[in-house]
Amino acid sequence: MRQIVCACGLLLTFLHTPALADGAARVVRIGALLPISGAGAYFGVQDREGIDLALDQLAKSPPGGARFDVHIEDSACSPLPATQAARRLLDGYRPDIIIGEECSDATLAVMPLVLQAGVPLLNAGSSALRITDPGNRETFRILPDEVMQGEDLANHAYRDLGARNAVLLHENTNAGIGNAAIFARRFAALGGKVVQTIGFGRDVNDFTAIATRIAALGPIDVIPTYTLEGQGLKITEALAQAGVVRGGGGHAVQLGTIWLPLGFDQQAGKAAEGYVRIVQFEPRDPRPVVQDFVAAFQAKFGHQPTHISAHAYDQIMLIADAVRRGAATPAAIRDRLAATRGFSGVTGSVVFDEHNQNVSRDTIHYVETEADGSFKPLDWK
Amino acid sequence: MSDVPSPVAAASLPAAECRPGWPGRAGAAATLGIVAILPLVLRDSYGRGLLIAGALNVIQALGLDLILGFAGQLDLGAAAFYGIGAYVSTLLVMLAGVGFWPALALGTLAAGVMGGVLALLTVRLRGHYLAIASLGFAVITYQVLLNWISLTQGPLGLYGITPPAGFTDPVRLFYLIAACAVLVFAALRALLASPVGATLAALREDEISAASLGIDCRRWKAFAFAVGSAVAGLAGGLYPGFAGTLVPDAFAPADSFGVLAMVIVGGIGTLRGPVLGAVVLTLAPELLRGIGDARMIVYGLALTLVVLFMPGGLDGAWRMAAARLRRNQAG
Repeated sequence: MRQIVCACGLLLTFLHTPALADGAARVVRIGALLPISGAGAYFGVQDREGIDLALDQLAKSPPGGARFDVHIEDSACSPLPATQAARRLLDGYRPDIIIGEECSDATLAVMPLVLQAGVPLLNAGSSALRITDPGNRETFRILPDEVMQGEDLANHAYRDLGARNAVLLHENTNAGIGNAAIFARRFAALGGKVVQTIGFGRDVNDFTAIATRIAALGPIDVIPTYTLEGQGLKITEALAQAGVVRGGGGHAVQLGTIWLPLGFDQQAGKAAEGYVRIVQFEPRDPRPVVQDFVAAFQAKFGHQPTHISAHAYDQIMLIADAVRRGAATPAAIRDRLAATRGFSGVTGSVVFDEHNQNVSRDTIHYVETEADGSFKPLDWK
Repeated sequence: MSDVPSPVAAASLPAAECRPGWPGRAGAAATLGIVAILPLVLRDSYGRGLLIAGALNVIQALGLDLILGFAGQLDLGAAAFYGIGAYVSTLLVMLAGVGFWPALALGTLAAGVMGGVLALLTVRLRGHYLAIASLGFAVITYQVLLNWISLTQGPLGLYGITPPAGFTDPVRLFYLIAACAVLVFAALRALLASPVGATLAALREDEISAASLGIDCRRWKAFAFAVGSAVAGLAGGLYPGFAGTLVPDAFAPADSFGVLAMVIVGGIGTLRGPVLGAVVLTLAPELLRGIGDARMIVYGLALTLVVLFMPGGLDGAWRMAAARLRRNQAG
């Protein structure tokens, strides 16, 4: 009797140990530093959806037979919580690679820790130049940096929209200041005039005074705006109420980069009419990889993916691509990532330069918001 | 008005903290022993990081408790003095080439002077009005740190800050900060056990009565603010070497409420309370990480329950439990 009980116990243990049951499948441990709390919490929610979908798909056809496990820590879009969360990940979870953070301040704070630990960090949401210039050996970024986005936006504002003057609005953060400065430099070099640059803290909730100030400046062609979604909505509404932008019967066109997710247009409604911005993910992109992703996402979550979900999905799939190419250790994952060629993600392709910055320009898509809250792609190359 | 502190009957420290018996001394020795052993037991950098963060919070909470708990001045600007200490010391090191230790001393001094000046400017204010004035000071300080980009780098931040020479190892850094916390504790205990403590208690209980006893309330308020702010500045000076970065968001005005919560939850007007509060409120959010997204809800709920059902904070609850135990044993 005792032998039978022991045998049953061993059998149960065997069946409930996935590594053994799956023939000791190698587990790729992915740590995720995501803002789950604070002003950037919406990033974390959308990131998680992209991660979940990617894991589902990888479980069905595991590259190299590997199993992927993701452990998320709340890094709160802020340096000290992010470093503590990174320490917790590195010590407790011992990841093969880390993805995140979304906010530049937090990413910059975490970078020395991953360098010291020799664990690669794959970033998709922070645009500050310093992350990859100079960056460090372990840090990779698939998002176009602020120079790629800012200069491209200034070029199109001047040439395609015929803008000759601009008012810049930015949150007072690393990324906000950096993005605005790059646009201003390029726009001025083209012959445009920056009439005013207005910075604000993340605690500002009422933008009526700023909108009124802009209205008093006379006709403004473009208003590049660098802020997170919550403040972005309030700014757009205030500018429309002040009659500055097209959505409020004015002349100015608001411009933006990838800070605002898809869905912003519906929330802002008529106020956002004419808003031109860079998105990193275009759900109507006819490429099969995009359409398959959109269909699978819609089926799993019941709503359209945002660029944030798409970024998270691409991060996991890019790691899977490195594993497929034989990476089995953090150092090997880093080396395979650096050698990435021909990876085509839902946000675009990936080719890293010597600073581990993705230099593919097909990651930049432009859209313009229509009066009914929908948006149309702009064929700007 | 006399320069000599007036002997006031009201005790400024609980008797157990003023004249600890053998259980108190044994408890203090055991606490020091635990502090010495902890970084050797917690071998990972996350655990050691938590210890360092906890020690920094202990220093901050002790500084605020002097102003709030012992002098009765409702100060909501703790984050500002923490930030002043951090930025002054770091900028002195990075821009002026001053050594870490003199820079730390100057950062501490700068925070103390600013605290004293704020107290002198707001000398007529009490209660809510003083709270708003000090909160206003925190907002101004934050905006200065954020917008004086040519000096502080503003939101672009200062990166690559290293711990002082000889303390790059996290264990050593913890011992350094923990030693500072112990020194602050001992210095405040000596101060509060002296007639100064009684003077501050008189000020806290009733300013008019204190003035009628010959106490220069203006001067003693400024004194408490200056010393408490200097203590916060000391913590601030030690922070950048640990974090490695310095951005104004680390000293946002709302962070003052976190320090206030440590003092209140631990036990206001005692020295053990803020230490207990700082340790518990540093560890609790981390220990709750296991329950996932609900952790901050549980944390907030726990804070509310402590304030509702433990009016004397954790230290008060401990005292009550100990007293009850003694009564039961005697009965």
